[in-house]
Amino acid sequence: MHIPDGFIDGKTAAVTAVISAAGVGFALRQVRRELPPRRVPLLGLAAAFLFAAQMVNFPVAGGTSGHLVGGTLVAALLGPSAAVVVVTTVLIVQCFLFQDGGVMALGANIFNMAIVNSVIGYVIYRMVCHWLTGIRGRVTAIAFAAWCATVLAAICCAGQLAWSGTIPWSVAFSAMATVHMFIGVGEGLISALVFLAVYRARPDLITETASAGQPQRLGELVRYGLLVTLGVAVFVAPFACSWPDGLDSVADKFGFSHKMAPLLPAPAPDYQVLGIHWAVGATAVAGAAGSLIVFVLALLMGRWLVPEPKDL
Amino acid sequence: MAGARTERPVSVPLVNHHHGQPDSLVHRLPAALKLGVALVIIVATVLVPIQWRAWFIGVAGLLVLTAGLSRLPLFFLFRRLLILSPFVLGVVLVNAFQPAGRDKWLAVAIKSVLCLLTVILVSNTTPFSRILRVLKSIRVPALLITTLALMHRYLFVLMDESERMRRARASRTFTRGRRFHWNTLATVVGQLFVRASERAERIYDAMCARGWK
Amino acid sequence: MNAAIEIADLKYRYHDGTEALRGASFCIAPGECVALLGPNGSGKSTLLLHLNGILPEKLSGAGAVKILGEPVTLNNLETIRRRVGLVFQDPDDQLFCPTVQEDVAFGPQQLGLGDAEVAARVQKALAQVGLADFGRRATHHLSHGEKRRVCLAGVLACEPAILILDEPTSDLDPRGRREFKALLRQIPATKLIATHDLELVVELCSRVIVLDRGSVVADGPMFELLNDEKLMLEHGLERPHILRHQHPH
Repeated sequence: MHIPDGFIDGKTAAVTAVISAAGVGFALRQVRRELPPRRVPLLGLAAAFLFAAQMVNFPVAGGTSGHLVGGTLVAALLGPSAAVVVVTTVLIVQCFLFQDGGVMALGANIFNMAIVNSVIGYVIYRMVCHWLTGIRGRVTAIAFAAWCATVLAAICCAGQLAWSGTIPWSVAFSAMATVHMFIGVGEGLISALVFLAVYRARPDLITETASAGQPQRLGELVRYGLLVTLGVAVFVAPFACSWPDGLDSVADKFGFSHKMAPLLPAPAPDYQVLGIHWAVGATAVAGAAGSLIVFVLALLMGRWLVPEPKDL
Repeated sequence: MAGARTERPVSVPLVNHHHGQPDSLVHRLPAALKLGVALVIIVATVLVPIQWRAWFIGVAGLLVLTAGLSRLPLFFLFRRLLILSPFVLGVVLVNAFQPAGRDKWLAVAIKSVLCLLTVILVSNTTPFSRILRVLKSIRVPALLITTLALMHRYLFVLMDESERMRRARASRTFTRGRRFHWNTLATVVGQLFVRASERAERIYDAMCARGWK
Repeated sequence: MNAAIEIADLKYRYHDGTEALRGASFCIAPGECVALLGPNGSGKSTLLLHLNGILPEKLSGAGAVKILGEPVTLNNLETIRRRVGLVFQDPDDQLFCPTVQEDVAFGPQQLGLGDAEVAARVQKALAQVGLADFGRRATHHLSHGEKRRVCLAGVLACEPAILILDEPTSDLDPRGRREFKALLRQIPATKLIATHDLELVVELCSRVIVLDRGSVVADGPMFELLNDEKLMLEHGLERPHILRHQHPH
């Protein structure tokens, strides 16, 4: 999901840069406040860990393999703000050293993968942990949260590409959301397995973060929530509002297929390829159904991986 | 795209970073200058409309000249540029059926290649610690700089550890079952986190031992 | 004159309750070069971490450890760490800066020295370990032997009175070991070396302390202890070959 330079335009890059700078700045302040000095090197090491972990190939089928992205995992292990810092660090190094993701696109990539992925993942993780207790609950929580975070980050990415006019929203949303609904399953599974492996080796590493400042977290999460909402409002909402037109408007749109697309386009793409328009609606429905299915799968997986329910 | 890729042979060096020639005119230029010029090129290239051919030809020329002066192997540069191909292909496919499609995907392709080449040239002729120093001088927060520095320092250490663990596990794996495989790999990754965590504590101790407050 | 290092009945437990140190005691005079021997798991590294106040995690004024006559407490950690230079077992843990120059400069900078003085100390320390031109090298590109030498330089740059080394020659090839031994021989500080390298002990150390299961089981002149085959075997060690062909006269 690393967007290269040239795929998003100036205004998108600028807006994402501002939002991301605010988000990362806030995360840094939070981390400085709540992280004991003893754990400061852990941020850098966790970033190195994440990078190394992303290199591990989990074979899927034929020659393909999946790999961990890890935003939600790191958030569950270190807290949301630390995760934002860690993933941002990884993205910066990937951009400068390995040219994975563009320089101007850093703002967008940080927003999608460091902020949305980590924070939304963390929120969902804690919400599910609230209902399901013990280590089994955590395993379920992280699997489901990782899936949701992956899909949501992909949708934001699609929004940015569409707002830049690189790809029309209908295609971007449908393609990215659908693909990442599948990729997200791998992400959820791997995150859960790794989380469990860490728990089995050093249970104290898990419980340490669990008890970290509960009431303060709310304020922190609210602020991230505002940033994420802002981003979503800018990139996703304009498009999301246009799709419920339904089959009626497809006929109207048909007439637009001859229109020229300007190079710095307005937010809503003004041409649609026949048939793809309702794919957006279908994708959204699939997403909603998918999340229910994935939640059930996560529950089942939790039972399978943790045979005896145990309190932390 | 994120999360899925085709199998890569273990022998291919994971580090796509060139260490060969440590010296050339380009290597010796100050990091701040290189980063500044690169930023200007990237931002301008993205913003400038594709119709202004002069700009793109000029930038391409400058980059080719710099590539030549930097003495980085051509094959290496070309291979790094190929990263873009799936993305460009995606955009090409999507826009292929639009009337203005050709202009659009050509614009995206040209801009992304030029920007990518710029970053490749700067990153392979500038040590990372210099880049960090420039970031420090533009007031990037100290915590982020420290984290970047530590990540870069221990990146290769952890990748080596990961590789060694995987090989050790593979040597004792006799079944080919995918489920077992995933479990093993997840355990390796989990171990990697635990080791990273413990190493972080030891680093803190080492810092304190030399007077860190 | 005060002992350089003095520990009295030092005890320590790990988080999970296992006793790592069960009342270790010894006294090291200034200028001595002492080897700390013991099988794996005997508590050597844990003991060494007590000598500059890293352990125990919650320091009290109990004063089980005294450095140059001063008990190690929370208030005087700075002074203690100026006097005690600890070289860690894994050089990767200690070399946390991007370049050699920056890493060796870390200690002097923490001491609050001016830029010129720091640069001078870095140069001197690197020259001492034979890596005078290595300033600009990236730390993650160094060979294992070079890393160990840079770690030593980083500690020497602080000019400590007491030098403590944890397994300094493990993982080194024979040449690396020889070079490192030659380096150590030239350093005048009081030295305490935890090691399995018995040849190093024979060549450099006049005295040997044997630690086993958290307590000191033997403390005496090197020749005497290392030649005591029964003692060596009993504590997971062995009589070094080099001594089988040597006579103390």
